[in-house]
Amino acid sequence: MSERDKIDMKSGEHRETADPSREEQLSLLLTITMEVAAASDLASALDVVLRRVCEKTGWVLGLAWVPNQDRTVLECGPVCFCCGEGGLTKFRVASEGSHFRPGVGLPGRVWELKRPAWIEDVTQDPNFPRTKAAAKVGLKAAVGIPILSGDEVIAVIEFFVQESRAKNERLVKVIAAVAAQLGLVMERKRAEEKLSSTNEILESILSSMGDAVIVADKEGKFLAFNPAAERMFGKGAAQTASREWSHQYGLYLPDKVTPFPPDQLPLTRSIRGEEVNNVEIFVRHDEAPQGLWTRINGRPLRGPNGELSGGVIVCRDITEIKKEEFFLFDQSRVLEMIAANASLAEVLTSLVLLMEAQADGLRCSILVLNQDGKHVRHGAAPNLPAAYVKAVDGAPIGPRNGSCGTAMYLRRQVVVKDVLTDPLWADYRKLAEICGLRAAIERQRVQETLRERDARINLAAESADLAFWVIYPEQNTAWMSDKGRKMYGFDSKLPLTRDLICGRVHPDERAAVHAAFDRACASHGLFESEHRLILPYGKTRWVIVRGRCLEDEHGSLLELIGVTIDVSAQKQSELQLQIQREEMSHLNRVALMGEMTASVAHELNQPLTAIANNASAARRFLERGNIDPVLLQQLLQDMVADSQRAGEVIRGIRALVRKDKTVVRSALNLNAVIADTLRLVSSDIVLRESVVVTEMDHSLPQVEAVPVQIQQVLLNLIMNALDAVESRPPAERRILISTRSLNGESAEVSVRDFGTGLPQDRPDKVFDHFFSTKQTGMGMGLTIVRSIIETHGGKISAENAPDRGARFFFHLPAARGDSKSQAA
Amino acid sequence: MNNSNESAEVCLVDDDSSVLRSMQYLLASDGLAVHAFNKPEEFLAHAADHPVSVVVTDIWMEGVTGLEILARMCAISPRPRVIVITARDDLAARATAMAIGPVAFFIKPFNDEEFLATVREALTQAKN
Repeated sequence: MSERDKIDMKSGEHRETADPSREEQLSLLLTITMEVAAASDLASALDVVLRRVCEKTGWVLGLAWVPNQDRTVLECGPVCFCCGEGGLTKFRVASEGSHFRPGVGLPGRVWELKRPAWIEDVTQDPNFPRTKAAAKVGLKAAVGIPILSGDEVIAVIEFFVQESRAKNERLVKVIAAVAAQLGLVMERKRAEEKLSSTNEILESILSSMGDAVIVADKEGKFLAFNPAAERMFGKGAAQTASREWSHQYGLYLPDKVTPFPPDQLPLTRSIRGEEVNNVEIFVRHDEAPQGLWTRINGRPLRGPNGELSGGVIVCRDITEIKKEEFFLFDQSRVLEMIAANASLAEVLTSLVLLMEAQADGLRCSILVLNQDGKHVRHGAAPNLPAAYVKAVDGAPIGPRNGSCGTAMYLRRQVVVKDVLTDPLWADYRKLAEICGLRAAIERQRVQETLRERDARINLAAESADLAFWVIYPEQNTAWMSDKGRKMYGFDSKLPLTRDLICGRVHPDERAAVHAAFDRACASHGLFESEHRLILPYGKTRWVIVRGRCLEDEHGSLLELIGVTIDVSAQKQSELQLQIQREEMSHLNRVALMGEMTASVAHELNQPLTAIANNASAARRFLERGNIDPVLLQQLLQDMVADSQRAGEVIRGIRALVRKDKTVVRSALNLNAVIADTLRLVSSDIVLRESVVVTEMDHSLPQVEAVPVQIQQVLLNLIMNALDAVESRPPAERRILISTRSLNGESAEVSVRDFGTGLPQDRPDKVFDHFFSTKQTGMGMGLTIVRSIIETHGGKISAENAPDRGARFFFHLPAARGDSKSQAA
Repeated sequence: MNNSNESAEVCLVDDDSSVLRSMQYLLASDGLAVHAFNKPEEFLAHAADHPVSVVVTDIWMEGVTGLEILARMCAISPRPRVIVITARDDLAARATAMAIGPVAFFIKPFNDEEFLATVREALTQAKN
């Protein structure tokens, strides 16, 4: 250390000790600021200030004054600080009994002027009403400081000491600074309180609202999801990607079966900045299996500068309104029928169906008064047992004749709550019981109507490629519709059995079909199977068979009824499609090979060059006649190794280009496949003056996959990435390939380039058929990539990377028995 | 066979080690002393403090662009005679390479006699 430094240091030390007030002020400010910030309200903040100022400055009494409610006078309190001596209490009590208007006394003066005031000796001051009390306890000097929040005095603090003191500017400044801190903190606290009370209000509004309200930020993360929303959508805010919402919450188009397109969901649209009005969505989930209708309005949320920050939707349950709408619609349809001269039976049946649609399990019948005016006639009862219809038809009307008969007789509305107990039904009790008009109605109806419908079903079945059949397991007999007999190749006279029917099943699938059949019979449950039928003369058919068991009233198995659908045509086109897909995939691999010409040439040329060189060298050495046998052996060994290397290259190419019928999956380490693939294209990477960086997760689980297909996926992605960076200067032609384990359950591979990126509106468009931004290429590569990944049970996505370029990432499920790690 | 160049050294650069070794044998079979480098940086480091008269190099190697490596070789002082061997025939690359300075351009696999003759000629020229 130089002499001068030492001097400087000394003088520095000296300055600090010579100016203790600065240190004092800072420490006081720091302590108070921290404590005030921690204080929960104005009272405890004032307490801190009074206490600390007295402790640090030696003033003995600190009082606080706050304006009353209507701000006409200052009142003493809520806190004060006395330094020890009991005598001071008298002055404090005197102060606590005082009020000061603006300008009056020390507090009033400070309040009015909004700045500090100093009194050297309060007993000599003309404007100090508490003079007597002060004189009694010997207080002399006083200082008053305003605490301002904005331009408003929220409190005045005053300090006293028992000696006359001349105004100390420095001290006033210290306390004023402290007061300013307190003012700021209180201002913030007030704002916070206001905000939190606003939040509480919002919160309570949201939770008491009948409408569902959902707020999400621009990433689609839910910020609010009120209880009504949880009720409406069956569950709370699950943090899933917005494209999963339709699936997650059971959102459908008005046809009730098509999942709502994720990018058209009101919340998604409002996050995009659109105003959404009156979109109707059908919601169905476990909590609402019948489904419900909701009408949704959405608005984008914007930050202070108008930038999009998210979206909010309000959803109203309009199920009842919808029911009404449908009711009106059906009603008008019935009216139309009447207008169109439909038969009475048709109109009445429609009316009954319309009524029955109003509630689950509701059964209706319409009876009309006979022309004699004394009996009822059957009108319509499509869902009531035939026995009931038959028994009621022609019954007399009268004062105790069931509900309809009585209503007709009395010419007024009759309501019967329970047909089994109501006196009006006394004479028809038996009928009601027989027909199980309460609990057992459903089963009764099925059995009774089954045969009645036979003809109708047969008719319907004839027109579709549908076979209708019944198997009676006990009797080992079966019945089949005419169409079914044709489909199964049975003569129309042949008595059928279960074994005959099952005998038509393709031998490869027969055991499985038998097992499914036995399972259904054992559990009295459902039977479902897709299999081939082998017909006489060797013809094959693909069919889907569905059936269910019916029980008699004692719960034992009665019969198995079902349908068989001929799907040979669909199957044929599916197979055709499969072949086409394989053709496409093969073409893509051949095209990839074409794109990789540089790598292919290089990979082959290297070993061939080495072989030629070694052979030529050996010949020369031999010509010179001085060849060392060890060297010759070495040369020959190298030639063998290089021929093998060339062979490997050719094998690799053939594997990639071969039309492989037998695609066998094996456990693969994707890190190793990536390394192999990069080796295959290394020359193209070098020639295109690009760099590929890899970041491998060594705990990556193995996946079950067809090696060549995964290589094809990677080649497509890498060649695309190379094309994407081509237009960049060489230094920026970077491609990043990384892998990571997703909880050990699947392996993710990401290929990211720093090129021009994907279409902004819909990055996923790149997976569509024939989408291409390139001059060459069919636009099939990525479609094939996606189909390969999906057949492996995985998923591939594309997005624009945050700063520049595109990122493709796919994940494949971990191979069974490898949910953890198994790095190669 | 002329053995007067026996002592003269040819530098060989190729990142494919089996090709590198075979080239080494080929040149040695013609009685030429060879100094082989698997990485272009290693050669450039060597050239920084040893005079190099002839260098036979691949131009497409990992980690460095072809023309960059050529430019750096031709910047060595005194300037060596550069013979390019490459697995890829690329007219643009060939033209650019010749403009920068190489004396010959061979596509793998190449004619051994022609190649050796070119190397010898380069060595003779370097001597004069």
